[in-house]
Amino acid sequence: MVERTWRPVAWGVVAAALAGLVLWPLARLLGEAVGAGLGRLLGDLGSAGAGAIVNSLWVSALVTVLALGGGLAAALLTERSRISGAGLLRLAILVPLVIPDFVSAMSWLRAYGPVGLTHRLLGIELPGLVGPAGIVIVLSVGALPLAYLVIAGGMRVRAEPDLERAARASGASALVAFRSVTLPLLWPVLVAAAGLVFVTSMNAFGTPVVLGSPAGFTTMTTRIYGDLAFSSSDEAFRRVIALACLLVVVAVSIVGLVDRLGGQGVDRTGLAGGTRATAGPHRRWAAVLAWLAVVLTVLVPLLALVLAALTRAVGLDPVPANLTLANFGRALDSHAIGALANSLLLATGAAALAVGLALVATALGSRWRPRLNTAVTLTFAVPGSVLAVAVLLAFGATLRDTLAIILLAYVAKLWALGQRPISGAADRLSGDLLRAARASGAGLLAALRTVTLPLLAPAIAAGALLVFVFAVHELTISVLLYGPTTETLAVDILGLQQVGDPVVTAALAVILTAVVAALAGLLLLLIRRFPWTEAGH
Amino acid sequence: MAVTDVPPAIELHRVAVAYDGVPVLADLDLRVEPGETLALLGPSGSGKTTLLFAVAGFLGIAGGEIRIAGRLASDRSTTLAPERRDVAVVFQQYALWPHLNAVETVAYPILRRGVDRARARLEALDLLERMGVSHLAERRPAQLSGGEQQRVGVARALARRAAVILLDEPTAHLDTPLRSALGAELSEQRRRSGAAAVYATHDVSEALAVADRVALLRDGRIVQVGDPRAIYERPVDLWAARLSGPASVVAAELVGDGRVRIAGRNVSLALDGGVRSLPDGTEAALLVRPDWVSLGGELPGAVSAVWFRGPWTDYRLETAAGTVEVREPGPPRAAPGQAVGWTLARAWLLDAGAQAGSPA
Repeated sequence: MVERTWRPVAWGVVAAALAGLVLWPLARLLGEAVGAGLGRLLGDLGSAGAGAIVNSLWVSALVTVLALGGGLAAALLTERSRISGAGLLRLAILVPLVIPDFVSAMSWLRAYGPVGLTHRLLGIELPGLVGPAGIVIVLSVGALPLAYLVIAGGMRVRAEPDLERAARASGASALVAFRSVTLPLLWPVLVAAAGLVFVTSMNAFGTPVVLGSPAGFTTMTTRIYGDLAFSSSDEAFRRVIALACLLVVVAVSIVGLVDRLGGQGVDRTGLAGGTRATAGPHRRWAAVLAWLAVVLTVLVPLLALVLAALTRAVGLDPVPANLTLANFGRALDSHAIGALANSLLLATGAAALAVGLALVATALGSRWRPRLNTAVTLTFAVPGSVLAVAVLLAFGATLRDTLAIILLAYVAKLWALGQRPISGAADRLSGDLLRAARASGAGLLAALRTVTLPLLAPAIAAGALLVFVFAVHELTISVLLYGPTTETLAVDILGLQQVGDPVVTAALAVILTAVVAALAGLLLLLIRRFPWTEAGH
Repeated sequence: MAVTDVPPAIELHRVAVAYDGVPVLADLDLRVEPGETLALLGPSGSGKTTLLFAVAGFLGIAGGEIRIAGRLASDRSTTLAPERRDVAVVFQQYALWPHLNAVETVAYPILRRGVDRARARLEALDLLERMGVSHLAERRPAQLSGGEQQRVGVARALARRAAVILLDEPTAHLDTPLRSALGAELSEQRRRSGAAAVYATHDVSEALAVADRVALLRDGRIVQVGDPRAIYERPVDLWAARLSGPASVVAAELVGDGRVRIAGRNVSLALDGGVRSLPDGTEAALLVRPDWVSLGGELPGAVSAVWFRGPWTDYRLETAAGTVEVREPGPPRAAPGQAVGWTLARAWLLDAGAQAGSPA
């Protein structure tokens, strides 16, 4: 896409960014580990570290099973049966994606916890919500939409309805058709979804810190946070290094495994599409169950959070006399406003830089795009906690306690989110479109401006918004890197929650979620508004 | 019904299908006899796939009933599962399973019949042989061309040994030469299997060539059913005429005794279509197929366009009675702009008083 003269410059930018943002920090982390020596690392890991590893593993495994089962069931319901309001159900299933995970943990506490909504109204609470069971449930609810997105998308491109119809018309029952056609075709997709959910759960921090810490239940990420934030011993520091290295190993090996298992995927047949004219059977009861699940796991917790934010004090019944807007005023003190400003500033910077890097990387041409995408995706798989530790090791000496160090980590982490939509849109742009513009008399710059840019614009906006949304509700990285003046809103909310001011915490969490939800709504509008972002591949 | 009577392979009685309240098929009656091939001819969106899917059991019907080989398969309240109907399907986009190779694909329906693996494989290889693709037995769909994929798709349908084969525009995505080759082969294999077939297509020449009978489908309703010659020569209306082949409409006046007056001159021709009931002097629109017209006659006209097609040549004439399409064997005999005489050997009376329009 780019003329010869600019190519080296573009390469330089991409290479420098990859090296500076990812490779150098990770090398520093590895250097620390090698310097300490394997024996010392294992020794310092101790039972506390080992326990955290075991906890992380089994929680993630359980979440993977639950989220995958739920996601598959939801995908079968929305993609393979005729239900009324399927579009709305799809949207409802995806709602947890835009709720920061520590906010959903807090909202579950407000809904089903010891002094929660159901306790006050019905006298019942969810046993074990504070502790591992609660972590598994809330993480599963958060991960289900991820699994659903991957599986439903895979169903659309891999297991077209005609393939299942062909099995039925060959004499297979619905069950046999599912087992012999749908499942084998979805196998790579299921592997990919499982890998994604497992790595996400291993890297999760907000939910385990909110629901695990009060019960003394630590995972690898909360252990890293505890050791880094509240301890200054060399032993604790080496434990951080060891855990961070382990997290990288787990993340990278899972990504590699998924690549090998899922990559040997099934080639598509020559023709896309097939007949979509008809959907499957009516499944009214399944739809009712799905809506009930959405209400119980998403809507009730959110409602409880909003009610808590509107109540004068925790423990009061949500009757009109006890309702007030004062919490929002108290929540938005100068400190919180500063934190909100930091969050927005960081998100804006991260979105601009990530999209800029994505554009440069995309401009290098279709031959390099897949490889660069892989490299960038791998950095996305590096857990936030690890990235924060590595960036701290690499740049802490000069940039400690500045917004810049958080920004660096954000860009490294979120680059992939900006790149995905942009490179995807670029892949779908036929080179002939640009050639047609040149053949119509446009110079390269004019052609880029009048043809390429308008066609990429929705993808660029989508990429920028995606980065922005994730940066605004990011907690894992900022909680490890913030300084006295660089608190983000997420860090502020977590701090308030731990100090124990539930109503003000709830008010602030509602504000954060509203900002994120508004942005996500904008993203959705954008995607709807520009139909060509989805079509034509 | 007498005991010796063989029930129709497919019988649709007042079938209705609706999506989200919008009717797609309405009040549809259709019979296909055992061993017969029925072509379902209609433009896209006319409901061809919906009709096939209703017969296959992929979707339920809102009213009426569908019987397959005499057995009730669908009515308002029940839909027999596809695997329990005596029906095989060839899909428009082939619908080959990407994870199975050709022989596994064809063996699939055989295994579902309860045949053991070794025997199923032999039978599948035999079917692939019959379709001329046995050398591709170990290939997966992605390694096959469109024509090869569809041959495997047809072999899979034949392997089902069903009483009825439904073909949903099986050649729509193939090149023209491949189309006619596969079309011919399909009819041959289908005849050998003895199954009845419903062949959905939007291609007139394909429909006329493969079918024993043709049904015209328009907006979810059957407009006309008949053998291919009847469909071509005696369309029920202008829409059916234009769907079933090239056609011109010529303005004429009936003057009795199978004679008509065109552009002020009396012409004697074989006129069909309820002409006897009409009084002399009636203004009428005559449907004329290009091969019913010939150059060199007493009617005046001017050539406005000429297309040389190899074995034959198509002409467009502008005449006082309307635009007329002509098809004659051999190379062009007239050039655009040239004044020519023309005449017609036969015509089909569409409806009295209808407007003469431009050719389709």
